[in-house]
Amino acid sequence: MSKYQAGTYTGEAPKVWPAKVNQIPKEIFGDAALFEEELKKIFYGDTWHVVGHTAEVPNIGDFKTFDLGRVPLLIARGKDNQVRVFFNSCTHRGNQLETSVSGNRKEFECPYHRWLFSLDGALAACPGSKEFAPDFKQENFGLVELKTDQYLGLILVTMGKNTPPLKEWLGDIVPLTLSALLGGDGRLKLLGYQKVRYVSNWKGYNDNDGYHGGLLHTAFRMLNFQGGSGSQPMSVNGHWVIEAELKPAQNSGFLNDPSLIDFKVADPKRGSLVVQLYPMTVMVKHMDVINLRFAIARSHDVTEVHYAYFAHEDDSEELVQHRIRQSSNLLGPCGMVSMEDAAVFQRIHIGNHTPGVAEFQKGVVSLSELSLDMKQSDETGNLPRWEHYRKVMGFKREGEQ
Amino acid sequence: MSQAVTAAHASAIEALHTAYLAALDKGDMAAWAATFASNEASYFCISAENDRRGLPLALMYDDCRGRIDDRVSFVTKVWAGTYQPYRTRHFIQQLSMNVAGANQYRATSGFMIMMTPEGGATTILTSGEYRDLIDIQGEGDQCRAVFRERRTVYDADVLPRYIVFPF
Ligand code: FES
Ligand SMILES: [Fe+2]
Repeated sequence: MSKYQAGTYTGEAPKVWPAKVNQIPKEIFGDAALFEEELKKIFYGDTWHVVGHTAEVPNIGDFKTFDLGRVPLLIARGKDNQVRVFFNSCTHRGNQLETSVSGNRKEFECPYHRWLFSLDGALAACPGSKEFAPDFKQENFGLVELKTDQYLGLILVTMGKNTPPLKEWLGDIVPLTLSALLGGDGRLKLLGYQKVRYVSNWKGYNDNDGYHGGLLHTAFRMLNFQGGSGSQPMSVNGHWVIEAELKPAQNSGFLNDPSLIDFKVADPKRGSLVVQLYPMTVMVKHMDVINLRFAIARSHDVTEVHYAYFAHEDDSEELVQHRIRQSSNLLGPCGMVSMEDAAVFQRIHIGNHTPGVAEFQKGVVSLSELSLDMKQSDETGNLPRWEHYRKVMGFKREGEQ
Repeated sequence: MSQAVTAAHASAIEALHTAYLAALDKGDMAAWAATFASNEASYFCISAENDRRGLPLALMYDDCRGRIDDRVSFVTKVWAGTYQPYRTRHFIQQLSMNVAGANQYRATSGFMIMMTPEGGATTILTSGEYRDLIDIQGEGDQCRAVFRERRTVYDADVLPRYIVFPF
């Protein structure tokens, strides 16, 4: 009988985390109190979080709303073409400012007492201000901006006080692949979204999205998809980068419309690029699909994912059409390849409400030391991220003082 | 100038709607595919958000007959055994019907899909609108209606689960 009991977590770190580096205690997936801790230490802590791409708000006045944990965000492009990220909350009494998922506005008006904010967040008008408190100064009541930085249009925010600069946080292994994934220069064009909620813990989602050995995917077998060579470096702060060759599949009559798996511009040598940024962002360029997955940890039980798909601004009309056709049907929560991933996110969450540990096996060479490199199809790539998580959350390893 | 719908055509169209719903509620993908024209047909399933914003990406983008048949294989062959099973009940309400050409109609209907995961309670999967282009094949009482195009615009800004079956 294992000492790990489902649902016994009490709001403190479990007394023991397995000594073996290839084991993860399942009790961390189903616990509401732990989620509150994670909000503080991770989602509102000293790390960057991907909340969007500037191509989602291409024109002046465009905005989208998003959430970081439970914190509502408003992402807007100002008259100066700067994209800013604000708390979506009026600086007067705190009313939710923008209710739409996306749109275009000249300014943002709070209906409660009609405070009016310009696109750059400044408080432009506030009726009756003559009678406001003696220390009221209009210029002090602009929308509150989060600390924000960008990488090729990818928008990242942090609420932590000691978050390292973005460049340092991304480190050495990420930029080369991420830039290729973002079309080289980040000049992307939004094609649309697939948005879905999974009944899954955010860690379970993240642990099983991105890359795993191909055994799950029947389509790979049916199409005789051959994985070629690849590399999969990881970083100690939980990022994971995968570049893999995709040998063109042999359709052999399985698909009536084989254009679903055509390469038009992607180089099969770098046919599959995956960048996973800690804590829960997965970005993929698979064949000609460019897919950024903006994820929201809603609770210990619910993870929401906005699969956003893009073309490149310089694409021909024909190429855009190919990307639309491939993107819609290949990946995502109803994609030929990845509907199965979605099923695993939910099934693993159910299975994780049992005692014991989740085991990692393929590619594990040492039970006491983590490797930051792995071979194609190894499942060890998740382990450095787990180690980072364990340290951030302050869980002690069995036998550790 | 809107022409009247003949009684024979109206009942063929009603039979088409019924066949579509019955196919999906039974999980019969071959019967679902059979409601589309056999030579040239398309099926799109797209979020109301993408549709409203003019974003072309869809959840299901089957713009040719081959893709409709491939969707049958996805469900029955590729995904078999991986997903958590669920049953659906579709309900529709016709909103409009107009003559689009000889033996062709444009119709819209509101729909609602209830879903029941195996072992679970029944909830709403989503509601939405069917925008159809319907062909009438054959003459008189022998005529039959098929979808030349069905564009399913679903209301949910965020779907409550991953999707196996068409809407
Ligand atoms: S709360 Fe927004 S104007 Fe008062
Ligand atoms: Fe997968």
